[in-house]
Amino acid sequence: MAVVNKSEREAAPNTCSQDSVILRLNGISKFYGRIRALSDVSVAFNAGEVHAILGENGAGKSTLMNIISGVVRPQIGIIEFDGRVVSNLSPETAAALGIAISYQHPAILDDLSVLENLRVSLPDEVFSGGSPRAIAQAMLDQVGLTVPLRARSDLLTVAQKQLLEIAKALAIKPKLLILDEPTASLDQDGTDMLFRRIREVVAAGTSVIYITHRLAELRQIAQRVTVLRDGRMQGSALVADVSDQDLLAMIVGRSLGSAFPPKAGNAGNINFSVGSLTGQKFSDVSFDLARGQILGVAGVVGNGQSELMRALAGLLVSKGDVQLSGRPLLPHDLLHEAAFMPSDRHAEGLAASLSIRENAGISALDKFSRFGIVDSKMELQEVSDAFRSLAVKASSIEAAVGALSGGNQQKVVMARALLSEPGIIIADEPTQGVDVGARAEIYRILREVSAKGIPVIINSSDAAELEGLCDKVIVMSRGRVVETLVGEDVAEARIVAAAVGALTHVDRQESSHARAKVSNWRHFVQTDNATAVPLVLVMILLGLYVFGQNSHYLSSFNIGNILMLATALGFIAIGQTAVLILGGIDLSVGPLAGFLVVVASFFVIDGQPPAVILLGFAIMIGLAILVGLVNGLLIRFAGFTPIAATLAMYIGLQGCSFLLRDSPGGYINGTVVGWINWQIGPIPLAFAVLVIIALVAEYGLRNRRFGWQLRATGSNDGSARRIGLRTDRTVVAVYISSALFTVLGAIMLMAQIGVGDPAQGANYTLSSITAVVLGGTSLRGGRGTFIGSVLGTLLLTEVLNAVSFLGLSQTYQYVFQGALILMAALIYSTVRERAAAPH
Amino acid sequence: MKMPRFVVAKGFVTVLISTWILIAICFAFAPSSVAPGALSGSLPFAAILAIVGLGQMLVVQQGGFDLSIAGGVSLAVVIATHYPAGDSAYLLPAILIAYACAALVGVLNGLLVGFVRLNAIVATIGMNALIYGGVFAVSGGVPRITTPLLAAIAGGDTFGVGHAVYFALALLLVVTFVMKKTVYGRRFEAVGANPLAAASIGLNVRLHQMMAYVLAQLLFCTAGLLIAGITSQPTAFQGDSLLLPSVAVVVLGGTSLLGGRGFPISTLIAAFFLNQLSQFAFAVGVPYSAQTIIQALALGFGIAIYSIHLPSTTKEIIKMSNWEDENEVIVS
Repeated sequence: MAVVNKSEREAAPNTCSQDSVILRLNGISKFYGRIRALSDVSVAFNAGEVHAILGENGAGKSTLMNIISGVVRPQIGIIEFDGRVVSNLSPETAAALGIAISYQHPAILDDLSVLENLRVSLPDEVFSGGSPRAIAQAMLDQVGLTVPLRARSDLLTVAQKQLLEIAKALAIKPKLLILDEPTASLDQDGTDMLFRRIREVVAAGTSVIYITHRLAELRQIAQRVTVLRDGRMQGSALVADVSDQDLLAMIVGRSLGSAFPPKAGNAGNINFSVGSLTGQKFSDVSFDLARGQILGVAGVVGNGQSELMRALAGLLVSKGDVQLSGRPLLPHDLLHEAAFMPSDRHAEGLAASLSIRENAGISALDKFSRFGIVDSKMELQEVSDAFRSLAVKASSIEAAVGALSGGNQQKVVMARALLSEPGIIIADEPTQGVDVGARAEIYRILREVSAKGIPVIINSSDAAELEGLCDKVIVMSRGRVVETLVGEDVAEARIVAAAVGALTHVDRQESSHARAKVSNWRHFVQTDNATAVPLVLVMILLGLYVFGQNSHYLSSFNIGNILMLATALGFIAIGQTAVLILGGIDLSVGPLAGFLVVVASFFVIDGQPPAVILLGFAIMIGLAILVGLVNGLLIRFAGFTPIAATLAMYIGLQGCSFLLRDSPGGYINGTVVGWINWQIGPIPLAFAVLVIIALVAEYGLRNRRFGWQLRATGSNDGSARRIGLRTDRTVVAVYISSALFTVLGAIMLMAQIGVGDPAQGANYTLSSITAVVLGGTSLRGGRGTFIGSVLGTLLLTEVLNAVSFLGLSQTYQYVFQGALILMAALIYSTVRERAAAPH
Repeated sequence: MKMPRFVVAKGFVTVLISTWILIAICFAFAPSSVAPGALSGSLPFAAILAIVGLGQMLVVQQGGFDLSIAGGVSLAVVIATHYPAGDSAYLLPAILIAYACAALVGVLNGLLVGFVRLNAIVATIGMNALIYGGVFAVSGGVPRITTPLLAAIAGGDTFGVGHAVYFALALLLVVTFVMKKTVYGRRFEAVGANPLAAASIGLNVRLHQMMAYVLAQLLFCTAGLLIAGITSQPTAFQGDSLLLPSVAVVVLGGTSLLGGRGFPISTLIAAFFLNQLSQFAFAVGVPYSAQTIIQALALGFGIAIYSIHLPSTTKEIIKMSNWEDENEVIVS
């Protein structure tokens, strides 16, 4: 047998010549708290070779990849790249060394277009020496991705995103290319194309690390294979020298260290059956389960198992035949009958801030209550009883559930499930993140529940666990059941063999060619600037209507007046837009504008020499930078929410204004006011400046690196960091820029009110948000438009002006304002949902 | 297993200790601010702040925000003063109209946020403007003298304490009882604490979110009616000055802006604290200006204390590090 086993491992890297090694890992260990993710892993990756990493879920493959790509740092061990020891590997330095990674879950930013995704994640050099569009198009062609460059990435299918992710990795012509389960969502054509590309880059001398679960693929593409199990190396070998049986033997056989309860002996009557159930990501699933049996769902993660579990719990829509003790159940009934134990306890299992008792009792409150009032004694009694039988270990039943260990948290979830007296139990990865001791107890409890006649269905990516616990196992691949194992056949090796040996591919309709075409109309509605059309139309119609009522409305004086008023709000709205694109909010802009005017009223006043006036402006800018900096730092480094940080700033700044002046005073220098209000015909110069700034900002937002970074950070902070963006710095910079735009707004405001008045300015906060929302920027982050915000400001000002021109009461002023923002928000959100929906 | 009946929340301890310290400082440096006369004058306003704080708390518990509090309070004020126009006989219908309007506004807010999924800030800014439209339609923007009956009910005092304080305490009891002791309240808290988890056990998340806005508006309306009784000639903008303090007392009371458990008692104490802070500053001769700076600092300090509880950034980083392998949840 040519497999290099553990004792010979040290010698393994030396079997190939020294100079061809690109990356060498020596004794890498990584711990998360007490849990060991990797221990003492040593492996070398050669140039011009595809090196596959094989292992079960949780074997440590992804941790290893994260270490190589610089996302995670090992506690112990040495990384050598190209013969040099690299310490402090970060995503940026890894990229600089020529390490590219294609993640299994692509780091694609949904709110950016295909082209922008490529440009923000790749260095500028890649696009130099030609038209960026042509270069980007070539990248897509290379991976056979046929989507328009301008298409927004949220329209892409998972397979298309995967191809885009691979295109990004290939584009930097890496020395080391990591592909993390790249074919998980690809169809046969896509896989073939990918393999051709891999062979090309390998021929050119690149080292490829290929992570997979599928033995068949390994044989097709890899020269060398390393197997991980439980965070340890099981061995390395040349693919040609090793048989499938040997590889399987290395993958499976991990020691669980916890005992399993005895299985059900004689199967009773069938009490739960599912017939050709089809739903999102799975199809035609059938099985039945006898009384006292536990069903296991197996397969490589992401093959439809978790969707199947959700459908069985009634949380996802599904079609098919489900019967519990002969009674047919609809998805709605399932929601009430089934007790669901989700895999991610933090995200949807428990409310971490509530107590253990509250979490456990929540689904059984009706049982503990009379006339809607909870009987606390009864609740305490029942919950305590449940905890005693489940052996929950906690300092107190009133302790926060978030403070418990994983095993005890899972027991709380089980207690909740059992207290609700369910008809069926659906447990998704019930022992994930649970220590060995608690696992045995969880197995025991599940077995007891099953023995009572409640059907139990378990999804687990741990085949050994399924072997020990289940009476029947269905193995899923690409959403279909590829194997049903019963009795003696429920064995880890059989389960893994079925899961990794499956040859099913994604159906063609889900492939990279679907949904590629985007009609022009749909594309336009998708763009952030689409709102400009309705806004301009409404403005023109409103203008004409009011002009019909009062011919002075379109006089040069009134137009100048509207534009002048809009300019102050417009500048502040531009700053607010940037913050909202980031997914934040800046409530402090209004009081900041007011405060800056008060500051100006000490310097920019009649009779002061120009030097003092200039000093005044400099102080305004300096204070604004300080305010923006404090906002940004509080949000990013002190854990404040944007609302909390800027609200505290709001109140504080208002106080500062009153501290400086308790009543209006300090008349602003007339010459300065004259300059600020300078008009060319009906157009104030300041308004022209606003328009130019908005256009430049808009151009930068779409075509410059900082704009992409801003939108990437707002779109998805985590993905932005994975592609190497410094999101903290972006956030702080944007809050500072918001404060700086507020300086411009304050200068306009200063000219309008002409005096330092501490009571002015605060209302600009809400007005700026109104204008920005009217303009079409969403508060969800990632999308926005500066042009829209200026148009929104203009429309808002026009409406308020029109109300007084039409002689309407103040009532209408408010009603129009409120109706405008609500209608805009409603229309924009529905139009976007429609446009984003598939044909 | 030990099972203490009461577990004291961190927010409660913080706000209570701060308040005691403040009272001690008041006695030491500004005894006039804690004199019976000064207290009986200022407590009703603390009570009103507490009531709007309770309303805002319910919305914040669902991860939302209600900026239409200004309009809601003002609308109740103008309905209670303009509709009866000084005639106490019309007071009851006026109050009923006010509550009906509040319920309507709450339902609309709740529909927009809970069901149409509009951002809470956008929806309530828009709604606030619409309510102010109503405020001007009713009042024309001019204040009117309050009815004698309402002045007696809301502005009177018993045992030297303003009635508003009794109202606040009664509402505190109701909110606390409903939230802590009823099935509805327990579910409400669970939905706020983790909507996904609540959905996974089959609770109607959207309906609970909507109800938060309805209940909040009813409380805002109550506060508005009390203001209409206490103030002899309340203006149409009476609610504006309550917007930010209402959020501040919720935060100081320890309710997370991310939603979840609410702390009604702490919110009430925080309202007293904030009010007394202004009284103290006023008594020692600090101008109005510095008072709000002190409030901002107190608010920032409060948030800082609570945010230590949520190491959000580290959590995110850990999440990121095992992003790829969904099975590999190493954090437990």
